[in-house]
Amino acid sequence: MRAETLKGHLDGLLLASLEAGPRHGYAIMEALRSGSDGQFDLPTGTIYPALRRLEQAGLIEGTWSQEGGRQRRVYELTPAGRRTLTAERGTWREFSAAVTALLEPAPRPVTP
Amino acid sequence: MTGGPAVEAYLREVAASMPGPRRARSDIVAELRGGLLDAIDARRSADLPAQAATEAAITEFGNPRQVARAFRPHLAMIQARHTALALAATGPLVGLLWAAAALASHITLRHAPPWQWPGTPPLAPAAFPAIGAALLIVVTSTLATIAATGRLTRWLAASPRIAVTTAATAGFAAIAADLAVLALLASQLTSAPGTLAPLPVAAATAASLTRLALARQAAFKCLTTRAALI
Repeated sequence: MRAETLKGHLDGLLLASLEAGPRHGYAIMEALRSGSDGQFDLPTGTIYPALRRLEQAGLIEGTWSQEGGRQRRVYELTPAGRRTLTAERGTWREFSAAVTALLEPAPRPVTP
Repeated sequence: MTGGPAVEAYLREVAASMPGPRRARSDIVAELRGGLLDAIDARRSADLPAQAATEAAITEFGNPRQVARAFRPHLAMIQARHTALALAATGPLVGLLWAAAALASHITLRHAPPWQWPGTPPLAPAAFPAIGAALLIVVTSTLATIAATGRLTRWLAASPRIAVTTAATAGFAAIAADLAVLALLASQLTSAPGTLAPLPVAAATAASLTRLALARQAAFKCLTTRAALI
């Protein structure tokens, strides 16, 4: 799926991928890929800058970790990020319910 | 820790098309290096030989120029914020030094227009409004930049282009303010040199010249990151 299709939902998905605990950029890419059954194979140039943007907005916080001699930037949700995620989730539920109601064919009336 | 030559060559290519503050750029490169090494590890644990794993990981990360381009808005925001914070930190200091220099000198300033004193240099009537206008622009543009590059981006769509523009404006207005003050000083030196206290005036002049050079550098960097935005 192309990144443009996801536009508007990327922030919510990134926040959701951090809900269970801190993760680094590549693990977030992997989580989005495997969590969507390979549908969301988002490029590096989308994920990493978006993480920086969310950090600047104070929704996530990045810290450097040194493990096995490898430097990784690990991100975790801030309290504001957690609140935004909850709000995004609510908006998405309403939106998707409305779209489903309109896009899906209405069930045919059962003839007796 | 560094990756292999292929990884480092890729990262150098990314860094080459990413203008912005040095530390922010090396931070991004270090993060990408960690990600690339993780991607290589993932391939190798799927039994791919080292070179093929590296090539596949680099392909996955994508065209280095495109990756660099994607970071430019972020780097522009950082550049704008650094410039504005530096102006906010140095501005009051330079102002205080000039105020101290004026107080130490034998100048009795009337607290009303046309702000004249015995031996008023001919430039004063033009310099004071110019300094006032420049300072007003510095303060408003600096505060606007700081606001637009901070937590507000949570609610407002961040505009890196506007942020670097206001930051560059603040920088150039600071230069104008410094130049106007220095012109006023030169004018006073020629009309009534004996009224000035040498040491405080020298300190304030040095501060203004330093700030002027730094503001010029920062403002041009803002313009560079602005030009790199599409």
